[in-house]
Formats: sequence, structure tokens, C-alpha cells
Amino acid sequence: MADYLSVSDAERAAMLGLIGVSSVSELYSDLPKELRRKKFALSEGRSQQETYAALAELAGRNATYRSVFRGAGSYVHYIPSAVKSLTSREEFLTAYTPYQPEISQGILQATFEFQTMMCNLTGMDVATASHYSGATAAAEACVMCADKSKKVVTFSNVNPDTAETMRTYLGARGIELEVLPAYEGTADLAGAEGYGAVYVESPNYYGIVEDVAAIAAAAKAKGGKVIVGCNPLALALFKAPGELGADVVVGDAQPFGLPVSFGGPYLGYMAAKKEFMRKLPGRIVGETTDADGRRAFVLTLQTREQHIRREKATSNICSNQAHCALTAAVYLSLAGPRGLKEIAVKCASNAHYLAKGLAHAGAKLFYEKEFFHEFVTITPGKASALAAALERKGILGGLPIDKHRTLWCCTELNGKADMDEVIRIAEETL
Amino acid sequence: MKTVFEKSVKGRTGVQPSALDVERYDYASSLLRDAVVLPELSEAEVAAHYTALSKRTFGVDDGFYPLGSCTMKYNPKLHEEIAALPGFRDAHPLARADKMQGSLAVIDTLSAYLAGITGMDAVTLQPAAGAHGEFTAMLMVKKYHLSRGDKARTKVLIPDSAHGTNPASAAMAGFEVVTVRSGADGCVDLADLSLKAGEDTAALMLTNPNTLGKFEKKVTDIARIVHDAGALMYYDGANLNAIMGVVRPGDMGFDLVHLNLHKTFSAPHGGGGPGSGPVCCKAALAAYLPDPQVMRTEKGFRFRRSDWSAGRVGAFYGNFGVYVKALAYIVSLGGKGLRAAAETAVLNANYLREKISYFYPVGEGRCMHEFVLSMRKLRDETGVTAADVAKALIDRGIHPPTMYFPLIVEDALMFEPTETVNKETLDRTAEALKEIIDLAYTRPEELHSAPHTTPVRRPDEAAAARNPVVKG
Repeated sequence: MADYLSVSDAERAAMLGLIGVSSVSELYSDLPKELRRKKFALSEGRSQQETYAALAELAGRNATYRSVFRGAGSYVHYIPSAVKSLTSREEFLTAYTPYQPEISQGILQATFEFQTMMCNLTGMDVATASHYSGATAAAEACVMCADKSKKVVTFSNVNPDTAETMRTYLGARGIELEVLPAYEGTADLAGAEGYGAVYVESPNYYGIVEDVAAIAAAAKAKGGKVIVGCNPLALALFKAPGELGADVVVGDAQPFGLPVSFGGPYLGYMAAKKEFMRKLPGRIVGETTDADGRRAFVLTLQTREQHIRREKATSNICSNQAHCALTAAVYLSLAGPRGLKEIAVKCASNAHYLAKGLAHAGAKLFYEKEFFHEFVTITPGKASALAAALERKGILGGLPIDKHRTLWCCTELNGKADMDEVIRIAEETL
Repeated sequence: MKTVFEKSVKGRTGVQPSALDVERYDYASSLLRDAVVLPELSEAEVAAHYTALSKRTFGVDDGFYPLGSCTMKYNPKLHEEIAALPGFRDAHPLARADKMQGSLAVIDTLSAYLAGITGMDAVTLQPAAGAHGEFTAMLMVKKYHLSRGDKARTKVLIPDSAHGTNPASAAMAGFEVVTVRSGADGCVDLADLSLKAGEDTAALMLTNPNTLGKFEKKVTDIARIVHDAGALMYYDGANLNAIMGVVRPGDMGFDLVHLNLHKTFSAPHGGGGPGSGPVCCKAALAAYLPDPQVMRTEKGFRFRRSDWSAGRVGAFYGNFGVYVKALAYIVSLGGKGLRAAAETAVLNANYLREKISYFYPVGEGRCMHEFVLSMRKLRDETGVTAADVAKALIDRGIHPPTMYFPLIVEDALMFEPTETVNKETLDRTAEALKEIIDLAYTRPEELHSAPHTTPVRRPDEAAAARNPVVKG
């Protein structure tokens, strides 16, 4: 049995002696007797070797795929070895939230640098240290922006998990979420009234690049705040939402060096225009000087937070996804502006190659719109039949989103040969 | 130290993506942006930068970390290796459930263990952190009352000793917060509770042992008062480390529990996350757990949804990578090991407290896994504050305890040694504290200016908030 304790029997006896009790159970004398009498089963532990074997057996029950063409909020990218190696240093991995700045300058500076990277990518003035996922970042941004209007508008083409999470968070505060239909795959605000904020994704759930500027202008004309959800990898190519009229940008930065890991931990991010600085939910690191005039980093604007403001805080968030933010910062530091752009171009080029090939094979592009690295096809036969045919060959195909439609994703990991194989299997199946 | 941007040299890069083997796709220039400003560095330079930053960070392996309420126990290395197994690491969350039976088995097995440890019937692992678990539980409380047609329960009772996340979570779930007073012993004042519990009460949020490190002796009476009022009992699992394997919240009368896998169950805290905040509940509340749930069928595990669910609280299924670590921990220790961990955590806290009592007042009675010192006496007599003491501990290789919390203790310092620290470290910590307190009476200025061994000293937090510089 592995127990990770550091106390010998002799030391235990000496410690009990000093405290002045004969056994540890005396230290529990405040617990009511009827509770302590209650019996329940306590299992035996296992050695590290047995534990590893038991968990490895579970890991082995999951299918592994030669190539993956599924995204929909979880993206398989190449992760440089330096990312895992550097972020695995125990100082980063095991530290708590940096409440003591003198011995936390490393994690504070790394977070400050992450915030800067996200501001640069999104074209915003301030970014938070992280949120649980893109879904909760979107939900908290909506709560922040809803104001007194008690209504937020979004579209049927946003990530469904995100929409559901928004509904949960908004509903709890008595704020309505109106979901407008996206008939042509893109957002259309026409007819919406009386909302405090609009949430639009670009690229949206179908991979389509939205006309964010038009949506933002329409929303602003009615006094609504504009929240844009973005896969941040797309921002290596496309105009920053900040240039297009966004007030707040949110999303999940999982593509920046985090494995898919069955859906988490991922990296919610939130960036905003300056006027939201004191309304934002979550931790923010700021720069200041120390008692000797040296540059130093600290957690800042803490009067927004739960440990100071309690029920009047802008959010309840305490632990966030700090280590994931560090991971993204290391990834972005390695990739740099050119590397990140090349990766994004490769994702987009692969997706367009596959889309063209699938169209020839009989899986037509469903929305004829400009897209990034995801797209939707429609097939005469069942979408699930094609997915099953690919599955048999060890390929995780696109995600069937209804009977005949499939949502595909390509990343830089997909080679031409892999895509040609998918196209061939599609030809055979359809 | 320069920032990663200040080190940037135009033209450098740390990765060379492999070449395109299909035709390059070009977008209309109207869609495209100008170049993004990101650091330009070689891999060697990036490695040097982050290694230098790591050396300016204090982890659990760097020294004693008695940060109260945070349970900074040792994080076993084995768990990192297991979480990185390709079968877990590369599992796509939207692959078919029948192809991901290993991941679903992890969720199901861990849920079953947590139900057993807490004395509850049903579990969700979806919340990504403790506060997220609190929020989720409060959403369930709301659904529960509404499903019974009981619309008047708009208030949540919270003791004045509670963590700030409790009132913040209740407010996010749309409740009004009513504060319950603590008595002179630091425990819930039953008279005040009886006065405030009523037909408008949805739940009581209680941490037990509480934030003073005291077990709420009258917890079954508290539960009776709350239940008699028609409200629910919510257990904040922040301090479960004191009692796991010894007593169960479900037996104390609690209806819902949140746990912190990153504290109690050894997953590392990562400098502020990712955590994981599962919610466990009694059968009567199971229908309100967030979507989706994992269920066991004859053909294996699958996901299901509930018509009464409190909704979805995040993307996919939560911080799966953290579950793997917590499961490895529970499998390794077993119920007996968990109990030994709790008992040793309580032993270590009482030992350190006893040693401190030789030279500074520690209060009456004994403590559970943590204890709170009031530095008020020291401040009155010497002018040395709790913060001064904390910063002086840094110079002695010790991470400071939690400062100025709980709010009901003046000048509080909250120590939580955990079970993994050794006696020698506890002895050395008591000696360091004695030396600091002695110094307060002789050369207090040395403490006012501490720490003296760190790259920065007492950053100006007020200035940082007044004129925020939040990007480089």
C-alpha cells in the first residue's frame, strides 16, 4: 500500500506523548459518539505498481486512432516536447494560487505574459488569468454584460455545450437566453430586441467565419454589448475581434498545447476592453513595484473577488486553470507569430483539401461559406455509417451532428495520405 | 527578470511546423489581420525562460507549505505518469461512448468511491473547481425546492467563518445570503441559526471541521434545525482531509457535499488550477445533478441526461485529467490509507500547535487538521503584524500560512501542515516561529522589512490596483 506518509511508529508515539494523548482517536473526541460508532467499509490499498497496472488497464480500454478528423470544441494538435517538459517542473505543478508574491514571481510573471498574449491575439486591453473552460468563460461574460436588460441573445450555430452552460448560468440569475436560428449557417440579428448582450462565435460551431463587424454594428445600434467566442488559433490568421467591434472575447485555448484528455482540463480565456477591467470575473495579474523599486507582479483588482467581496463579488471563481494557462504561454512562446500562423494555415489548407475531396466522393459541403478548419458535409446515406466505416479503419472521422450531416475538423497533424484515405473510404461508403 | 516579450528577437522561432503537403489555402485579404505580436525565441531560450520562472516559484517539494484550508499535501509523481498514458491523454471527448469505456469507467469508479467516502448516493464530477462545485450544488438545491412547488426558499444561510466562495456561489445561483453568527467557541451559534432558519431558507452551507479547525460538535442538532425548517444541508468539503475514513458527511445529516480532488485527493494545484470539485448527494437529489451523467448498463457505460437536471455547468465532462490522479490516489491508499492520512494530518496539526503553545497562546482545546493563531497579542505588544510574521517565515524556507482568514479571528494565521510532512519539519517550523516572535520584541524592524531572501519584497498591491498594468 502506498500511503505517502512521513512518520515512523516511534515518531508517532513521541508526538502523541508531547500532545498528551494516548492515541490519535483521542484527538477526535469532539466528534459525536453516534457518528464515530457508525461502521462503514474501508478497502485495502495497493502498491504503486498495482495502482499503475489497474489504471493502465482502464486506459487500455479506450480506443486509440491513427488519425483524427473530429473537433467540435476539442482539438488534436502536435504538442512540442518542450511544452510538457517545462510545465511539468514541480514548482509550477504543485504550487497554490500565488497569494504570496515574493515566492510566486515565476507563476505571476508567466500569467501576466499569458494575459498579454491573449490581449495581443484578441485585440483587447485586459485578459483574465483563466476560466474553467470556453463554455464557462462565455457564460460568465454573458452574466457580466447582461446588465439590467435581463436578456442575452445568441444563435443556433454556437457550440451546444457553450449554449447550455450559458443557459444554466444566466437562468440562475433570472436572465433569459434567446437563441436565434442560423438558417444559412451564419448569425443573423435581424428582429432581435431588448437584449443587453449578444454572443456570437467566429469561427462558429460549423467552422464558418462570421461577419463579426456586421453583428457588432447591429448590436451596438440597439445598445447591446458584443461578446465574441473564438478558437484562438484562428486568430493567428483572421482579424482580431477587437478590430471588429467586440467588447469581450472568450473561448477555449486548449489548442495551445493541451491534450484532448477526454474533455479536460482545458483553458477558458476572457479578454475585454478597458471599461470592463473592474467588472471582470476571475483572477488578474498586474505589474507593480516592490519596496525597493523593482518590478514585481501581483494578483490585482482583488476587490472584485469572492475572498474580499463575498456575495457581492463579480464571480465565485477561486481556483481556475492556471497550469493550463502556463502551458498555453509556453506553447505560444515556442510557436511565435510565424509558427502559429503556419500551423493555422496548415489546419485551414488541410480542411479545404479534405472538403474538396469529400465533395467529389459524394459528401457535399453543406454551407457554402468561408470556413477555418472545420466544415459540415451532407451525405445521402447516414452520417453515422460513414463514421463507422472510418472507425473500422482506426480513423476517428467527423462528428455526425444529425442523420445526414457531419462536422469535420482538420489540424496540422493530418497528412495528405490520411486525408486521401478518408476520401477513398467515403467514396466506397457513399 | 525580463519578460518573455522583452527577450524576443525578431526572426527567431521555437518550432518549425512540418511543410504543407496539400495546396495552400488563401483567404481574402479583407479577412486577414496584421501579424500577431508574440515572443520570438528559440526552444533553448524558451526553456531557459521558463526554468528561470520556475525557480521563482515555491512548490510543495520546495519546502513546508502549511497554507491553511488549501491542504498542500505531497502530489505523487506516479499520478502524472498515469494521467499522461496515451489511452487517457488522447481520448477525444466526442468519440463514441462505447469506444471510450476506459474513461467512463474512471468516472464511474471514482464516483462510486467518492459516494462511499462521503456517505452519499449519487455523484457528478463535472464541476472544475471547489467553487464551481458549490455553485452546482446550489443550483441543485434550487431545482429541488422548485420541483416541489416551493418557491419561497430564496435564502441560503452561511456562517460568518465560511470561505468567501460560499456566499459568492449562493449569490451566483440567485440566492440571497444570510449570515449566521459563530459562538465564542468558533462554532455555529444554534440560537442564531434557529432564529434565521425558516420557510424562506433553501439551505445551510457548512464547512466541518470549520475554518477554525474545530469540529462542529453539534452538527446533528444543526441538521435537525435546518431539516425541520424544510431546508437542505450542504457540506463544503474544503476540510474533508481531517475526517475522511473516520466519519462521513452523509451520516452527519448533510444532503449534498462538494469535494476538492486537487486538495484532499492529492491532485496538484498547478499554481491555481486545474482543480476538480465533484458534488455528491443523497438519492432524493440525484435527479438534479448536472448533465450528462454516466450510467452503468448491461452493455457497458453510457451517458444519460435527466429531465430535472440543474443543467450543464461546463464543457464536456469536467477536468478528466484530474479524476485520473484522484482515482490513482484512492486506489493506492484504500479506505484504510485515507483514514491514516486524516489521522496523521490531525496528529501533525495538534503537534505543531502544541509546540507553538510553549511560547505563544494557541487557544483552548485541540484542533483537527488545521489551527488558527491570532497575532493580535503580538501586534499590540510589538507592532509586528501577521503579515510580518508570514514574510519572515519565507526567509526561513517556509511558505506562509493563510493570512487574515477566517475573518472572525483578528490578525489570523491559519496553519495546515497536512499528513505528508515529517516531524523534523514541524519541529523546525516551531523553532522558526519562536525565533520570529522573539525577534518581534527585540528587533521588530527586521520583521517589518522581511522577506530579505526573495527576488522582490513587499510589492505595492494598492498601486497595482489603482493604476492597473495588466499586460506587457
